[in-house]
Amino acid sequence: MQINSTKTSQQGYDNVNHNQTRDVMKTNSDKDNNEQLALYMSAVANYQDKRAFAKLFAYFSPKINAFGHQRLNQQGLALDLVQETLTRVWTKAHLYNPDKAAVTTWVFTIMRNQCFDMLRKVQHNREDSFGDDIWQLFDSDNAQEDDNDFMLSASLLKHVDALPPLQKQVVRGIYLQELTQQELAEKLHIPIGTVKSRLRLGLEKLKSYMEQAL
Amino acid sequence: MINFHPDKQMLELHAQGQLPLSLSIALSAHIEYCGQCQQQCQQLTKALSVEAFSDNSAPAQQEQALLDDLLSNMLSDIDDLPLDTGINLPSSVTVTVKEKQYALPQVFRQQMLSEWQGIGKVSRARLDTGEGKARASLLYIDADGEIPQHTHKGTELTLLLAGEFSDEFSDYKPGDLMVMTAEDKHSPKTKQGCLCYTVVDAPLYFTKGLSKILNPIGELIY
Repeated sequence: MQINSTKTSQQGYDNVNHNQTRDVMKTNSDKDNNEQLALYMSAVANYQDKRAFAKLFAYFSPKINAFGHQRLNQQGLALDLVQETLTRVWTKAHLYNPDKAAVTTWVFTIMRNQCFDMLRKVQHNREDSFGDDIWQLFDSDNAQEDDNDFMLSASLLKHVDALPPLQKQVVRGIYLQELTQQELAEKLHIPIGTVKSRLRLGLEKLKSYMEQAL
Repeated sequence: MINFHPDKQMLELHAQGQLPLSLSIALSAHIEYCGQCQQQCQQLTKALSVEAFSDNSAPAQQEQALLDDLLSNMLSDIDDLPLDTGINLPSSVTVTVKEKQYALPQVFRQQMLSEWQGIGKVSRARLDTGEGKARASLLYIDADGEIPQHTHKGTELTLLLAGEFSDEFSDYKPGDLMVMTAEDKHSPKTKQGCLCYTVVDAPLYFTKGLSKILNPIGELIY
């Protein structure tokens, strides 16, 4: 199997090896071990470095396989757990934040969450994935900053609050409390036509606020 | 200030991923309210990760061959995998009951609620957790409502999500998590109204004279 590596990642990767003559598998000290794993992680995160990924695979796969045997009781499923976990290490590497957790803790979290979903499949025949909802990975802070929809809703909500009170009341009722126009009319004791006209005015004003902001 | 926490064993099982979904939801939600248990859970997770990854012995030859195959398959497909954007499902989730809107902990964001059903001041919406025995629900009690005194055939877990309630033992605040067993009797009541997450692993049996007629409600409430 030919492993490709970009020029930049090659350099970063070779530094790792020059500085650390001992291989990660033979290192006894936890601290060295964690530092070594963190360097591999950053090579995967920044350069999609396959050689660094192969190192992570060599370190974690037998351990995940053993964990899977213990929990899932089937050779095939244990290998699935190895694949599912390490696939996520690859696709989520850039979300890993070394300030929040050691690489081993982060990988354990991914493995445990994955194993939880696989056990549900085995025991309850459910194809759901709740593991990452139950135990948030350590990447949620970054996730929110990147989430444009989230930012957009936040600024939209701010503009809703800036609307004149009567329009604000109607816009909030329809879009945030998800009432029907009829329900809202009854609740506010106003004709449904008034709900419609306040809503139209409110939405037009919101649109102009948002256009100015862009 | 949260006064009622899961015990150490439960927290440990949670960190291991060994609790069923219904209870994992309760623990995860409690942890969102409770910095103390959040910290403990992080420490437990760290210790568990050390334990799980401490064995450096090489796998048997046959196993190693399987892992080698897996690696080469993964490396050939890996370029086609889209990287995770980190943009998750909606980061906030709310529920509306009797025209009141409540924000729920993150863990509920993918959970499906059935329709609210209710009698008088008590409403319940069940979660579809797919577990045979345990039943997980959101339970809403209107202001000045109460549930007749009852025991539990099995175990009942209650996590208060919003509002307040009290029973013969104490007053409870959002984030408080209580586990009651078959011996415990209580009759919770609320002044302001409250929203709870509950898990029971058997139908409730009401014990107070008059409310024996209400016994079928036990089935409905939980």
